[in-house]
Amino acid sequence: MTIIYEGKSKRLHTDPDSTERIIVEFTDAVTAGDGARRDLKPGKGKIACDTTEFIYSALASMGIETHLVKRLEGPRLLCHRVRIFPVEAVCRNVAAGSFCRRYGIERGRALSQPLVEFFLKNDALHDPLITAHAIADLGLASEEDVEFMRSVTLSVNYYLTEMFSQVDLKLVDFKLEFGKAADGRILLADEISGDGIRVWEKTGASLDKDLFREDRGDVVAAYRQLLQCIRKSDISKVPSQKERIRVIVMPRDGIKNPQGEVTKKALNRLGLKEADTVRSGRIYDITLDAPLTNSLLMKIKQMNAKLLSNPIAEKSQVRMET
Amino acid sequence: MRALSQIPGANPYLVPSSSDPAALKDADGAVIPGGFSYGDYIRAGAVAGVGEILEGVRELVDSDRPVLGVCNGFQILAESGILPGALLPNVSAHFVCKWVHVKVAETHTPFTEGIERAVLALPIAHTEGNYYCSELDLERMRKNRLMAFRYSDANGRIAEDTNPNGSVDNIAGIVNERGNVLGMMPHPERASRPSLGSVDGLMILRNFVRRTQ
Repeated sequence: MTIIYEGKSKRLHTDPDSTERIIVEFTDAVTAGDGARRDLKPGKGKIACDTTEFIYSALASMGIETHLVKRLEGPRLLCHRVRIFPVEAVCRNVAAGSFCRRYGIERGRALSQPLVEFFLKNDALHDPLITAHAIADLGLASEEDVEFMRSVTLSVNYYLTEMFSQVDLKLVDFKLEFGKAADGRILLADEISGDGIRVWEKTGASLDKDLFREDRGDVVAAYRQLLQCIRKSDISKVPSQKERIRVIVMPRDGIKNPQGEVTKKALNRLGLKEADTVRSGRIYDITLDAPLTNSLLMKIKQMNAKLLSNPIAEKSQVRMET
Repeated sequence: MRALSQIPGANPYLVPSSSDPAALKDADGAVIPGGFSYGDYIRAGAVAGVGEILEGVRELVDSDRPVLGVCNGFQILAESGILPGALLPNVSAHFVCKWVHVKVAETHTPFTEGIERAVLALPIAHTEGNYYCSELDLERMRKNRLMAFRYSDANGRIAEDTNPNGSVDNIAGIVNERGNVLGMMPHPERASRPSLGSVDGLMILRNFVRRTQ
């Protein structure tokens, strides 16, 4: 077993039994400020490992694909080997942390809807915010991969928010990382523990790394309390979330579109003289009662080619609606 | 059914589109009629084109038995991939219902035996009859003379002004390479008795029946 990579709070080892798997070991290190502050807190690694195992197992039971294969002895998880995308997805329900500093707003302000932001993983650049277009343009992930990560991030947010509210905890925000497995699937990777999540109790007290960032108390005790609380939740009682897929079908370029031409004439007649061309197509909105997975997306694309669109005369787009 | 019944030797029976594919097992051939009896959602023939019964039709095709698709039946054969191409909305964007002339190909196909090079008067009634296919398919069909019927005038002249719906190359009907599948937009069954105004379609149906024997 050799070390492949040593991160700020985890070590990755090869799996002696398979090249398609790795062993993730959680260390006791706690860092803040892009690694500028670092401390060792005995017992933290095991709690982070326990928390990740618990949350990832719960999400997997709802159909979200993660890299977790199984728990090993000690603070270690056996995981699918993935190529991690160099971006982090952050989902926010309530303004806190860098969001407040960036926009100068008060901590605790509720957002009208869950907000997903992407950050470039680069300590030297202090993990800057990055747009989906820039991610695609820099070749870090395709636009479709970004949309997929956004969709899964929102599903995770839904399930965790519901789970946490069962035990009177408020999910403020969290950070996720994704990776591509050898078979092409995009899996939820890395971890979810007190290190990458903000959780407030009803009293407003933090059960996360803010205690360490702001030197406000015993971070290991808080992580332990978080784990104890969420262990009392029951994800199977959370109704499954409806995902929406939109398939847009349009006539191929160059194919005559009589409906569009007739519409154009009518628009011109009604006074929209600027209407130069009108092309008319179809839209299908499909709701799914399961989180989006790569195989599900593939299946929808196959159905699209088979039934929804006729590739001989039509072009189409399968879009994840979030 | 009525048009086929009057042909000696034919013994037609109805197989509803909701039937199990096994219902077609003992058939000597199949006619997929028009009339949108299977619904016409998504695109003409698209839902029926993935219907279970199509497995039975495919088996007929593969075992060299004749299959004739008329109007919506042609759309279904195209959507299912049994015949190449697609039937798009008419360029006029209108439902077209009228008598037209079609020129029969000079090639010898089982369906056009005895009427080669003839000009037939047949009715059409469709909104999506604009035949379209890739350049590659078109080239292949030209080479192998698979365009059984093309819209023409009464003298057999094929031109843009004899094209009722925008079909590429004035295509009104095509056969597959094997010659046992014919898809056509005009209705031969509606031109099979003098009282209907024409008996030009009868030859096609007779040929179909002969091919089943």
